[in-house]
Amino acid sequence: MGAFDGIKVLELGAGAAGPVATRYLADQGATVLRVESTKRPDFLRTLTQTKNSDAELDSAPMFVLLNANKLSVSINMSTVEGIELVKRLVLWADVVSENFSPKAMAKWGLDYPRLRELKPDLIMVSSCLFGQTGPQRMYPGFGGQGSALSGFNHLTGWPDREAVGPYATITDSLSPKYVALSLIAALFHRDRTGEGQYIDLSQIEAAVYSLSEMVARQSARGESVTRMGNRSEFAVPHGIYPCRGVDRWIAIAVHTDADWKALVRFMGNPDWVLNVEFETLAGRRRNEDMIEERLRVWTTDYDAHELMQRLQDSGIEAGAVQNFQDLNGDPQLEHREHFQSLDHVHLGTLRFEHSAIRHRSSSAELRRPGPCLGEHNEMVLGEILGLSQTEIQRMIATEVIA
Amino acid sequence: MLSGIRVLDLTQEPGFLAGKILAELGADVIKIEPPSGDLSGRRGPFLGGVDDPERSLLWHALNSSKRGITLSLEFERGRALLRELIGVADVLLETFAPGTLDAMNLGYADARAKNSGIVWASITPFGQTGPYAMYRAHDLVAVAMGGNPSMTGDPDRPPIRCSMPTAYYHAGPEAVIGVLTALYARGRSQQGDYIDVSMQEAQLSSLITGAAQYAYTERLGTRSGAVLGRTREIWRAKDGYVSFGLRGGAARIPNLIAAVEYMHENDLAPDWLREYDWSKYNHNTLADAEIARFEAVFTTFFATKTMRELYEEALKRRILLAPCNNAAEIVDQPQLRARDFFVTIETELGEDFEIPGFFAKSTARKIGVRRRAPRIGEHNHEVYAELGIDLSELETLQAQEII
Repeated sequence: MGAFDGIKVLELGAGAAGPVATRYLADQGATVLRVESTKRPDFLRTLTQTKNSDAELDSAPMFVLLNANKLSVSINMSTVEGIELVKRLVLWADVVSENFSPKAMAKWGLDYPRLRELKPDLIMVSSCLFGQTGPQRMYPGFGGQGSALSGFNHLTGWPDREAVGPYATITDSLSPKYVALSLIAALFHRDRTGEGQYIDLSQIEAAVYSLSEMVARQSARGESVTRMGNRSEFAVPHGIYPCRGVDRWIAIAVHTDADWKALVRFMGNPDWVLNVEFETLAGRRRNEDMIEERLRVWTTDYDAHELMQRLQDSGIEAGAVQNFQDLNGDPQLEHREHFQSLDHVHLGTLRFEHSAIRHRSSSAELRRPGPCLGEHNEMVLGEILGLSQTEIQRMIATEVIA
Repeated sequence: MLSGIRVLDLTQEPGFLAGKILAELGADVIKIEPPSGDLSGRRGPFLGGVDDPERSLLWHALNSSKRGITLSLEFERGRALLRELIGVADVLLETFAPGTLDAMNLGYADARAKNSGIVWASITPFGQTGPYAMYRAHDLVAVAMGGNPSMTGDPDRPPIRCSMPTAYYHAGPEAVIGVLTALYARGRSQQGDYIDVSMQEAQLSSLITGAAQYAYTERLGTRSGAVLGRTREIWRAKDGYVSFGLRGGAARIPNLIAAVEYMHENDLAPDWLREYDWSKYNHNTLADAEIARFEAVFTTFFATKTMRELYEEALKRRILLAPCNNAAEIVDQPQLRARDFFVTIETELGEDFEIPGFFAKSTARKIGVRRRAPRIGEHNHEVYAELGIDLSELETLQAQEII
């Protein structure tokens, strides 16, 4: 049993920001139907590893992984009939989720005011980069620009070097969570009041909202928080140090003076630590370069995971810097059953991922890999919309279904 | 949207955001602190530079819209008060180490016996059970274990984290998704639920399937600084940095052509670039020397312009280029201003400041900041009065340092 069994979501959009959001609903039982077209495929479908066959749009691992549990119907939105089919699917749906640039839905006559006329209690969310209003709403960026505009690039890097930004596009992982929680809140609200609603969510605003502390500090004190490598204002030492092997590292964070004492004890009270200055945060701060240099030497011969375990067993905050291979063998993630294998028609067995949420009474379920383009045409057009085989064949011939 | 939903927020910093989101969706979120205040969460920097927990900017930024009470869990009477509060609450959020509340007979099982509809969410570094469940972590260790730093940073230096705590930023809204899912389900089942959120696991979402893709490709990447894949993503402008990709594909080629046109109008586009046949451009198959040739001319060009100049032209010409904004540039961002994104926080201390006002706009109800963060014990009177505790009893509890 999923919490959203019976809830129907119509998804128009591409990339990660929109589609990641509806996964949370699909994993809890909602029927999420993607409207797509071979005429203008989701760009994630083109990130394929094997450019060989007519399966090209159906074998991009990122697409298949991100869109697990969803259905796909291929409808050509540049035809009048195609748009009429989508309107009929809106009547079927509880929720419409889209992340096109602001003009697209209006151009098709599928903007909220018009869809609301069709279905008064519709819940609809639009989640483009910059929101539906304002002078820069049409800015056509991708997640890379979102990470820059929201401040995360500036905040990630070494103070003496250029900004590098966090790996991957952080607005694509932060904003979908806000889209999902807004949608679920809207469903809850509809349950209680019968009212639908329209939600205008800007990926950049969701990211900057996360950075509320940075904004407050800027506004109240004119203090621009900036990138500082791995250092922290509140902990010394606070860094990542080399371990045995190629590109192996350990993170160690000392947040309290007691933690520092524990670390010193663990290191066997080496001579260089015998300095009362080190007993306070302020004193360690004054000697941070030296402490870090000593730690770098000390960690070098340890195995990262082994040292992590021993430090943690001594109550010290430490963690191996895990690469993607480590994550696939991580015993904690395995315990939480983070990965689950499913077979895909073109890619074979893939490991799919769960979110970080575990409900005790209802478990998220991975039922199927991300759909092939138009994989559910028969079911959607026949069973949901009640079209006859003759009509469907005509629509395929006239490229309404394409 | 969540009016009438009462949330008890027993979290420390990793959970502040979750409570804030629920409060800004309309729930009545009651922040519960020890009698002297949550001093780790009320840390500096402080408003006006005055070292005072009531002036903590972290606190103000992430506890807005909540009410605040004090309560000591060290005394049985305090624990009994929490049980009473649980009896009339819908949601409880907490970030204690696994087992801490159970040991005080204040765990989920106890709560559920008192209130079968309670939705309880725990945010911890690694989750409630499993081999790392008792491992300690603030942000750095959680993100390191979650994989992102292994791919972030310069190749000649150690992996790095973002200098703000993204482990909390990912886990907070994830917990809210769990809570709202359970509240929605409760509408049918009348039963509450327990939600276990792992900060480490939430970090994996920042890899956008990176870990799962590795299982398929077995290709292990590493840090590449400001380069994404094969081409540079972050460039030096006259006064800062901008994000711009030399990547191809149907959605991006027009922007490369527009960028070259802009460059040409500034007499900085060499002939070979102006005559380039973009229909054949594929950043994945370009020779290294070709990439270097492209990067050299773009590097020269961007360095002649400020971030603002480049961005203004990018907006006009639909070039996929954006400034790497710092905090000062974000609070001045015209688009955010046009959408009234920021709200002013008035603290009665004579120094007002702004924070983001909402994460989305809705037609149904106003979403967003409703009031400034609570002072220590600010709402003791009204909240405890709602439990039927009168003023004289409250004074006794205060004298005993229970609240």
